[in-house]
Amino acid sequence: MDSDEEEQRIPLSQRPEWSDVIPVQQDDGPNPVVPIAYKEDFRETMDYFRAVYISDERSPRSLRLTAEAIHFNPGNYTVWHFRRLILEALNCSLHDELDYIERFAKSNSKNYQIWHHRRWVAEKLGTDAATKELEFTKKILSIDAKHYHAWSHRQWVLQALGGWEGELDYCQQLLEDDIFNNSAWNQRHFVITRSPFLGGLEAMREFEVSYTIKAIRANPENESPWRYLRGLYQHDTEALISSLQIPSLCVEVLSAKNNFIFALSLILDLLCHGFNPSEEMKNAVQVLKNSDSQPSDLSLADTICGILESVDPMRKNYWAWRKQRLAAQGT
Amino acid sequence: MDSERISSNSFDRDRHIWFLSMMYQLLPADYQSQEINRLTLAYFVISGLALLDSLDLVDKKGVASWVLSFQAHPRNRDELNNGQFFGFHGSRTSQLPPDDNGVFVHNGSHLASTYCALSILKIVGYDLSLIDSGSILRSMKHLQQPDGSFMPIHIGAERDLRFVYCAAAICHLLGDWSGMDKQKVNEYISNCQSYDGGFGLVPGSESHGGATYCAVASLQLMGSIEDDIISKDVQSSIINVPLLLDWILQRQVVDGGIQGRPNKPSDTCYAFWIGGVLKILGASKFIDEDALHRFLLSCQSQYGGFSKFPRQLPDLYHSYYGFTAFSLLKEPQLRPIFVELGIADIADIGI
Repeated sequence: MDSDEEEQRIPLSQRPEWSDVIPVQQDDGPNPVVPIAYKEDFRETMDYFRAVYISDERSPRSLRLTAEAIHFNPGNYTVWHFRRLILEALNCSLHDELDYIERFAKSNSKNYQIWHHRRWVAEKLGTDAATKELEFTKKILSIDAKHYHAWSHRQWVLQALGGWEGELDYCQQLLEDDIFNNSAWNQRHFVITRSPFLGGLEAMREFEVSYTIKAIRANPENESPWRYLRGLYQHDTEALISSLQIPSLCVEVLSAKNNFIFALSLILDLLCHGFNPSEEMKNAVQVLKNSDSQPSDLSLADTICGILESVDPMRKNYWAWRKQRLAAQGT
Repeated sequence: MDSERISSNSFDRDRHIWFLSMMYQLLPADYQSQEINRLTLAYFVISGLALLDSLDLVDKKGVASWVLSFQAHPRNRDELNNGQFFGFHGSRTSQLPPDDNGVFVHNGSHLASTYCALSILKIVGYDLSLIDSGSILRSMKHLQQPDGSFMPIHIGAERDLRFVYCAAAICHLLGDWSGMDKQKVNEYISNCQSYDGGFGLVPGSESHGGATYCAVASLQLMGSIEDDIISKDVQSSIINVPLLLDWILQRQVVDGGIQGRPNKPSDTCYAFWIGGVLKILGASKFIDEDALHRFLLSCQSQYGGFSKFPRQLPDLYHSYYGFTAFSLLKEPQLRPIFVELGIADIADIGI
């Protein structure tokens, strides 16, 4: 409801269809803490809701009333729960309910209850709802591409109802729109690892590594693809340190002498897992050193920590601590 | 009023006390949309006043009796096994008046309200051993799911790490872990750790600062993770700590503030969610606390309280987490915080 509608709202006490109902007031009790300055329309709506909830009236007018109550307090799970009971009792069209949720979500999408309600409806509709749910979340994501609830719902839909076929393409699209969208990168990982239509992480790895490297080249300051790249080897450090593309990428980024913090951090990670650096890599790192600050006989890992302390001063204590631990790790 | 003006160059305790005491008396109509979580709003106010060392402004007995009035009581022992959860309601809108026989038939009690209720009671000095904790804990078991997660309410709701945290906090506050299967919780938490080291609200979800706090604080409360694990240089068998550490430290961004997810703007509340995790891990010194301090001050409101972003109007939620964040930074005008419960260190208050 926008403010125009609110101005035209007829109080429930003046609506003939509600004349038989006695509203039930809220009993705040003595000494209520943090009382809220309820507006009259809010108070009245909740008073009538209490009446039908207590008398368990599962009727069309109750259904309409829950919509009014939800408008005032979208997080009220008691109202949502009663709405579900009414929908079942009246055997209402669940597709109509999906439409209602969509209209409501346009202005109220950031609450858990609406998404739980949507899931409840979709679950009842079963796999037929998959397409509609993917369309719905896509609409929400087109307004806010990082909408946490929408992504959670979308993941649930894929796992419970299906629709995986177009998901990798969808991630690609979103990343083309905004390569910095961490939610889209996360979804990509989700699809790679769980889609029954792809071969699983190992099978997809080569393709994904190339894709991610392209993204990193374009924006080496972007944290998301670096994490994603590392995540492709989450359970396979052998493959990680045997990769040729990754060290090559790191050297490339270092050589540009700009936005190289994540590259250094990844090399450090590789070294801690037993990676053998090339001369080219060692030279690329040396070039970045603050020449007077450190002796030249330090290990590569030590040198990297030293550089990071200086170029990432926000986290200098962390890099100093990492350097300290190198001896214990034998790096 | 010039909303561009920052309140001051230091933590403005007096103004925050004034802000909270106003809220304690009456919340503006804007908060009616959060009516269902009234107890949570009370928690922010009362716990906030405790952190600000101003509990004298609170009618402790009155608050305790008000909070206790939200408890759902089983009518008999059989009811404890019928699948319902007997905790605390979050507001009168989920707690309907009793029927003609004086019986409360509608049980809308909720895990999050229960956590808030017990926290408030603890803060105002109420003896928790006087509560029927048996009913709370026995019935809480019904809310735990086969995968280890918790649903907050028996009539059905989403399930995720937030309610795992609430359940763990409730057990800790009541000093009794019979209400949950800890092993299953450890498994669920482990499954929520993402490929990048952070934690999502459910397995597969994007790593998120709030979810990460829920995960790590739960492990700490359950005793599933070593205290100060970074300083002790030990590993955890449940979560990948080095990967988490690297992810979490990257959450501090150029403006000194903390973001909840990569490539998102910094926001006051993450100074607590993320800062809290660092404290638990023993890694607080790994971020730039001065820069964070400066950012938080830029979110301090001239009206008292804190806003989400600089130069916006304050709200209770961001105000509370602004206070807790400053407490983590050892602001002298604030009480120390018991980080895994998110409230003032009661032992320190001397209750």
